[in-house]
Amino acid sequence: MRRKLAIVPERCSGCRVCEIACAVHNQGVNNPKKARIRVTAIYPHPVVRMPVVCSQCKDAKCIAACPTDAIFSKDGVVQIKDDDCIGCHACVDACPFGAMYVHPDYDVPLKCDICGGSDQPQCAKMCPTGAITFIPEHVFGQSKRLNNVLSYAHMKEIEYMEKGEPKKLHYADNNAAERDESGGAK
Amino acid sequence: MKDYKGGYFGKILHVNMDDGSTRIESIDDDYIEKYVGGRGFAIKLLWDHLKKVGKIDPLSAESMLVIAPGPLTGVYLPSSGKNSFAAISPATGIYGDSSMGGGFGVEIRQAGYDAIAITGKTSELSYLFIDDDVIKIIPCPELAGKGNLETEGRIRDNLGDHSLRVASIGVAGENLARFACVTSEWSRNAGRTGMGAVMGSKNLKAIVVRGHKDMPVADMKKVIEISEKAYHELGSHYMMGHWQRFGLMGVIDYANELGILPTHNFRDTHWKKAHTINADVMMDKGHKIGNTGCFGCPMCCGNINIVKEGKWAGTVTEGPEYETAAMLGSNVGIDNFASVLRANHLCDDFGLDTISMGNLIAAIIEGYEKDLLTLDDLDGKPVKWGDDERIMELIEQTAKCESIGATIALGAKGVIARWPQLEPLILHVKGLEQSAYDCRGASSMALAYGTSDIGAHHTRAWTVGKELEAGAGWTNKDRVDLVIYHQHIRSLFDMFGVCRLPWIELGFHEDFYAELYSAVTGKEFGLEPLLKASQNLYDMTRAINVELGVTREDDFPPERTFVPIHTGPLAGKVCDRQEYDKMLSLYYKTRGWDKDGVPGRPTTGE
Repeated sequence: MRRKLAIVPERCSGCRVCEIACAVHNQGVNNPKKARIRVTAIYPHPVVRMPVVCSQCKDAKCIAACPTDAIFSKDGVVQIKDDDCIGCHACVDACPFGAMYVHPDYDVPLKCDICGGSDQPQCAKMCPTGAITFIPEHVFGQSKRLNNVLSYAHMKEIEYMEKGEPKKLHYADNNAAERDESGGAK
Repeated sequence: MKDYKGGYFGKILHVNMDDGSTRIESIDDDYIEKYVGGRGFAIKLLWDHLKKVGKIDPLSAESMLVIAPGPLTGVYLPSSGKNSFAAISPATGIYGDSSMGGGFGVEIRQAGYDAIAITGKTSELSYLFIDDDVIKIIPCPELAGKGNLETEGRIRDNLGDHSLRVASIGVAGENLARFACVTSEWSRNAGRTGMGAVMGSKNLKAIVVRGHKDMPVADMKKVIEISEKAYHELGSHYMMGHWQRFGLMGVIDYANELGILPTHNFRDTHWKKAHTINADVMMDKGHKIGNTGCFGCPMCCGNINIVKEGKWAGTVTEGPEYETAAMLGSNVGIDNFASVLRANHLCDDFGLDTISMGNLIAAIIEGYEKDLLTLDDLDGKPVKWGDDERIMELIEQTAKCESIGATIALGAKGVIARWPQLEPLILHVKGLEQSAYDCRGASSMALAYGTSDIGAHHTRAWTVGKELEAGAGWTNKDRVDLVIYHQHIRSLFDMFGVCRLPWIELGFHEDFYAELYSAVTGKEFGLEPLLKASQNLYDMTRAINVELGVTREDDFPPERTFVPIHTGPLAGKVCDRQEYDKMLSLYYKTRGWDKDGVPGRPTTGE
């Protein structure tokens, strides 16, 4: 089962723990500018903070753009063969998400390889707000699906007391539409 | 540097704004051992400068502004995004510093400097661009009169790089308002003691930094091990969710229940309307739209708030945190959270310190209420508790130094010089207005305000919670010991360039920092020698202040501290002047200072 990094920008606080965790583990230096994931922050209209990282595309633009075939995909992880890279940065330019990075100390661009294909990438492990998650591919879009389903159903709520505590119960009244159509009592 | 294998670049950058010349000062092991970094380096630089130029106007061209991140700033550890701005303060005339969170300090370290010292003045409004090793002064007359927000955005656009860090001043700083701040990343402020005015006096609109270097770490494996344990410990702390949800706004209810919430210019310390400006309003009325965290911080205590309806609709601001909500809320009688957000936004964009602003407006309102000020003094427009529109106008006038604002902008000392009758109403120590914790219920806090090296601020010691929670029965010795310990340990955080919140709020052990500092520097340290260095530096700021005219009389808390509280949980509480005097003597004695508060043996390395 392949897994991918999924970003929830709404949860990101812009603290850059992902950057520094990535850099110390993957490059072995304390330098967030050498991270393969970066938080891009826009403020104040609108306020958006979003970690930008490789999506491990199936039909990757970076692979197509590379003039020396230095980029390849293996087991769902898009990687760069350092020896074949000529440092032209065509891939950096081609990435639709801007998810490849350049640092003056390196000829080869910095690109996420899921911590060498690990099952626990550092950024997702360390993110304090849960803005970066590492989930099975087929789970992608799940929260939107759930939201979509919840907004479709005819949501109702009742309040009741349980052992002296006020409680709320949400339920979907699946017969409501039918009753509306037949003009029945609500 | 021989023994220090990490933590430092060994370089202090000196920039002379007169001609744009720069100089690198190399520092050795001995220097590092004595001054540690951050605030410590700043104190040493300011001390040397004071010896060179003598007592000068803090707003003159020769004055020095120091920006110093610490050896732990930007390191992989919780809450490492702090750096200090320090100078002789134009508000108080003595040593002043203020720390800023966010990522600005990290960027300075990435550019390869342990500290930056700026002197001189350019002929036209300019910004300083530190691009790794290339330092340029770029004129920017087009940014005159622009707010912090627009300034940062335009500089990023002009230089074509979205990732660089900008610390700028707003209109208030340009106009030399004595409590102007330096602002970065929208709303990260070095707020207190008027560092923005010092920048303004140098015609320095902004400091722009871009760096790519590795921050040296001696033992990376050890740092990862200690830090990840720390991140895990913080992440699973039962209060973590509270901090991420409410940030410092949660303190409003806490302070109100304890009876230390400044209300109506500290006349009362408990407000029945506190529920109009607390965390519940922020959450329940849908104001909060996000969190902000400084570099490497899991607590992300910054609240992003929006006003969707009413007269302040369209206001988006990062904040308020407790101080702002109290000083521009309960202390001026504003009982509408949207108005607090508006005031917070204005102060951020103009670049004004919200604590000083709230104090001075409250004093003026009370002065007018008590007929100490006439309508003429107020330019014919009255101002009352909770009059939010007039308060917004006063904030704007202060930033622009217009009408009555021209007087307010001079800070506590300037306002008292014009209206001496307001002296008992303005809560300040040494010219710095008091933070938002009343100290009558806990005289250790009065001592903390009285003896803080920058004036009435809680940054050096915050003991009010501890003393009140402990209940009665504290002796003066308990109070003095706790204040002194706080003044050393909290200063140490500013020297390291890390935030103190994980320690004070989540009970994080101080030994962790010594352990980490050892791993970063590759030199074994316990907490003791570091606290000793912090103590020596406290003596040194005292020596600076004594040189600049501070005496025993200046170490007393604001007048209002000696007037009893009338309402709330702490009704009847008051600080006794003679008792305070005794406590102060004990404080001096414990510190080894003489009866006038002069350090006997200033450990300044001279």
